[in-house]
Order: sequence, then C-alpha cells, then structure tokens
Amino acid sequence: MATDHRSAAGTPGHAAPGGPSAKSAGLASGWWKLDEKTRFSLLLLAPSGIMLILFQIVPILIGANASFRDWSLYDPQRTWVGLQHYLYILTDPNFLYLVLPNTLLLMFCSVSIGLCLGLALAHLLNRHFIGHALVQTVILLPLMVAPVIASMMMRWIFNDQFGVVAAVMDALGFGSIAWLSNRWPSFAIIVFADVWLWTPWFTILLLAGLRSLPKEPYEAAAIDAASKWRVFTHVTLPMMRPIMAVCIVIRSIDCFRTFDQVWVITGGGPARQTEVFSIYAYTEAFVYLNFARGTAAAIVGAVIIGALGWALYKTLNRFMEVSR
Amino acid sequence: MSAATDTGYTPPRKGSFLDALAPGGKRAFLFLCVLGVLLLFAFPVFWLVLTSLRPAWGVYYVHRGLEFTLSNYAEVLEQGVVVNAFINSFVIATLSTFFSLAVTVTSGYMLSRFTGKLANAWFGTIYIFRTIPYITWVLPLYFVTQWWGIFDTYLGLLLPHIAVHICFFSWLMKGFFDGIDPSMESAALIDGCTRWGAFVRVALPSALPGIAALSILCWLWTWNEFLFALILTSHNTPMITVVMAQFVSELGTEWNLMSATAVMAMVPALIVAIFGQKYVVRGLKV
Repeated sequence: MATDHRSAAGTPGHAAPGGPSAKSAGLASGWWKLDEKTRFSLLLLAPSGIMLILFQIVPILIGANASFRDWSLYDPQRTWVGLQHYLYILTDPNFLYLVLPNTLLLMFCSVSIGLCLGLALAHLLNRHFIGHALVQTVILLPLMVAPVIASMMMRWIFNDQFGVVAAVMDALGFGSIAWLSNRWPSFAIIVFADVWLWTPWFTILLLAGLRSLPKEPYEAAAIDAASKWRVFTHVTLPMMRPIMAVCIVIRSIDCFRTFDQVWVITGGGPARQTEVFSIYAYTEAFVYLNFARGTAAAIVGAVIIGALGWALYKTLNRFMEVSR
Repeated sequence: MSAATDTGYTPPRKGSFLDALAPGGKRAFLFLCVLGVLLLFAFPVFWLVLTSLRPAWGVYYVHRGLEFTLSNYAEVLEQGVVVNAFINSFVIATLSTFFSLAVTVTSGYMLSRFTGKLANAWFGTIYIFRTIPYITWVLPLYFVTQWWGIFDTYLGLLLPHIAVHICFFSWLMKGFFDGIDPSMESAALIDGCTRWGAFVRVALPSALPGIAALSILCWLWTWNEFLFALILTSHNTPMITVVMAQFVSELGTEWNLMSATAVMAMVPALIVAIFGQKYVVRGLKV
C-alpha cells in the first residue's frame, strides 16, 4: 500500500520482525502479511484514526440515522419517517428566508471586511515605525480572546441605555439606536464582533505572505517609477493571490459554522431574525426538543457548506490559473 | 521639447497627495492609522477592564465619577460555580492539549514521510472532516456520550476536544515535519535505529519548536471553546465560557460582575499576547 518511504529506501526489511508468532489468528496473520512500512504507517495513524471514528464518524452516522426517525420524547419507538424532517427544513420559511441568507451574508461580510482590513494592517505592520511592537501586540489580542468574552464586550459597549456607544452618540446629538431590538443593527454588531475576532488572523497570515515575497519585482517596478497604488495592484496583489485564496476558503468554511458570537450577542433574536445555521440546528434540537429535526438541519448545513467550499475552491483555483 | 528644458522648468516631484496636503502629512496619516487600529482592537478590552473595576452603582454612569474598586473580583470569586468552572476549564484545556498533540504528531509524521494510498486516503479524510460544521457531530454526541455514560464528566468533554483538533493539527504537523530534512532519519535507520526510534529520537526533537507553538494555541482554543461545553456539560462540570454566557442571559444587569469574570478568563490570553507572540505567529503558519 504505502509504496515509497522517502527516508529509508536503503534498508529493506532491516527492522522487520518476522512472523513466526503470527500464525495464531487470522487477523494477526493478515497484519503480519502487510509489509513493514505499511504496518508502521498504520500504527502511526491508529490513534488519530480511532479518535476520528469514535467521535466524529460514529456520531455523524448516528445523527444521520436519527434524522430519518421521529425522535421526539413521546415516541419511544423512534418511528422511521423517511425524508420528512428534510422536507420540513427545506420548506421552512425561517430556514429559507432568514437562516440561510443570514449565514451567507455573515460569511460574505465577515470574510470580505476581514480580508481588506487584514491586508491593510499587514501592510502597516510590514513597515517600521515607533510603537510597532505595541501595535502588533494589540492586533494579536483578539485572536486569543474567547468569542464569548468578545461578544459580551460588544453587548456591553452597544448596550442601548448605558453603553459607551450610546453615550457618545447622545453627546454628539444623534438619537440613540435600540441596537439589539432590531434586525439589522443587531446583525451589524454580530458582523463587527466577527470582524474584530478574525481580522488579526488574516493579518498574521497575510503579513507572513508579504514577508516571503521576492524583492526583484519591486525593484523592477521602482525602476519603472510605478506609483505605490500601481505597485500594490500590479505586483503585490497578483503575488499574494495564492495565500489570499487559502485564507478565503478556510475562513469561509469556519464562518459558516459561527455559533458563539450570535448565541451570546442576540441568541438568534429578535424573533429569530438573526439566526444562523448552527443556532438553527441547536434551537431545533434543544429548545424545541426535536432532536431528529436538529440533526437533519445540521446535515443539510454540512452538505451546503461542503458544496459551497468545493465550489469556492474550484473558482479561486481557476481564477488563479487564468491570472497567472 | 528642448524649449521646456531650456527654461529651467522642472516638473514638481511626484510626491504623495498627503505630503502635498501638509508638510509631514504622511507621517500624520500613519500616526492616525496606528491610533485608529489601537482604538479598534484595544478599546473593547480596555473598556471591559475598566467596567470590572467600577463599583456596581458606578457602572451605569461611566462618564461621571472616578471610584475604582476590586470588590467585584472578590464577589465573583465567592461564587463556587465560578471557581469550579475555572478549575474545570484549566484541567480540560491542559489535558486536551497534551493528548491532541500526542495523537496528531504521529499522524502528521505519517502524512509527511509516507506517500501512497493510505496517506492519500488519510489526507482526503481530514480534508473532508475539516469542512463539516461542529454542530453536525456534536449534536449526536449529546446522546452518544449519554449512552456511554460519560455525559457531563471530564472524559465526556475531553475526548471530543481531542477529536476536534485531529484534522487541523495533522495538517499543521505535516507542515512541521515537511520542513525537516528526512536524510537524518535515513542515517539513523542505517545505523540500526528502528523506524519508531528514528521518529522519536531524530524527527521529533527537530519539530519541537512548532509543536510548542501549537500547544499554546491549542490550550487557548480549548479554554475559549463554547459550543462543546454548552452541549456536552451540565451542572456537574461547569466550564467558564458557559458560565459567562449564562451570566449574560440570567443576570443581564450586573455588568460589573460579568466584566470581572470575563477579565479573569482573559488573563491567559493577555499573557500569551504579551509574552508568547512569536510562538503564536509561528504556530499559525498554514
């Protein structure tokens, strides 16, 4: 199976224990029939593989099984109901017109704002100025703060009676906004919290990318007296495309499953208007106590993000091929 | 053409717009940028710390009064559930960091050093499972851990926490080992080392800096984790993030106490941000 071992091509069978003791059981003899490299790689893989099977694959299979049954408290039989839960979710106006648009909009806003801000900050950090270390520390901070804590901060800052934003807006003569009791203001706070939490991640990765770029194209551009903006759009951006693509794909996939921020800031409210996909599945399972419908929703979401992630990856790949 | 040069007219040097606006405008602009960044990223944290130091009656009149107190912290620490939650979070974060690194270091090594069907299959698997949202497998785990009798125990939270990092860490570990020259291990093998010995004695020490960086991040991510703790624990094993989220919904008016709890929960993050920067930056390289 494992055909090529780069490190030890020259020592075939050197450390291989022969199989005299292995004739005892069929499984064991099958094990010793494998060549020594395969056995070693299987052993290396075993701990991770077993954990993955027990705690991800088995739960997903159980959840998939449950999603075809009536799993409510009053039905101990767990009656098989086929695709009923999936049909319910795919025709639920809450899911179609609130949850899905919210999730995708959050994904789009958070990733695009984070990428632009991250690129700007990476440029800022890529030059020398007094206080560089302080700025870098401050930018790194949100990366390590728990999303729950960050969301609490946002709730407190945007508190509509006693929050500092309300105080400032009052002082400036604007009326106060009831931030958390309307759909779009609360959604804006969620986006802000997400951007605050994840821009540093973009910054670090893009800064590493900037520092690894070759110097020659910049020297050529300087000789041609290109303006800074043209250098940015014609030299930096094309060379940064691969790492930006990786950032966008990873971050989009992670953003799709956002839970903490939304749960703490709005809890999906007001009136389910800021629910995102993870909250929807959780609410169906633990608030409406319909476990089967919750898992069905979770599986629908997994399929959507799987397809979306794959499409995004392909698009960005093609986009990079063309521009190269 | 030559007339222009004869008159001694030199076109103004093409400086930036900001320099034209005011002398030193560029430096001022840079300064403003830096200030804006500091305000955007540090202000929420600063505000939380400030609120945690205010007496209860002062919280709501922030722009007046200058009394500060530490009594919020004392009051929070008197609550048994908060102290328990801190202890639990610490234990789970530490144990899960140790075990998830131990489990993924071998599979990452395998990905880096072997090619063939098995390695390709594993790489594809972790790629797919990285995409699946947590809720898809944590929801069923709520029942699975109950059937196995480990719901709301350390074990019931620790094992999923180890599992969640497998995909991403195997990938990062592969990166660490890819950066190490495999010829040292071949030399060790020729000298009579076993494959396991070559891995433990030669490859592993060289990968330690990367692994150390990853361990810091892993500890923080587990400490900060919310969804698993919310679904897989109840009253017996309170975790700090869940306790704080409950504060927000239950005693939504006592912001001074909530801030004090949050600031204490933020201490590890602050320590790492200030002292462990370079490790974090190294560990994050994708």
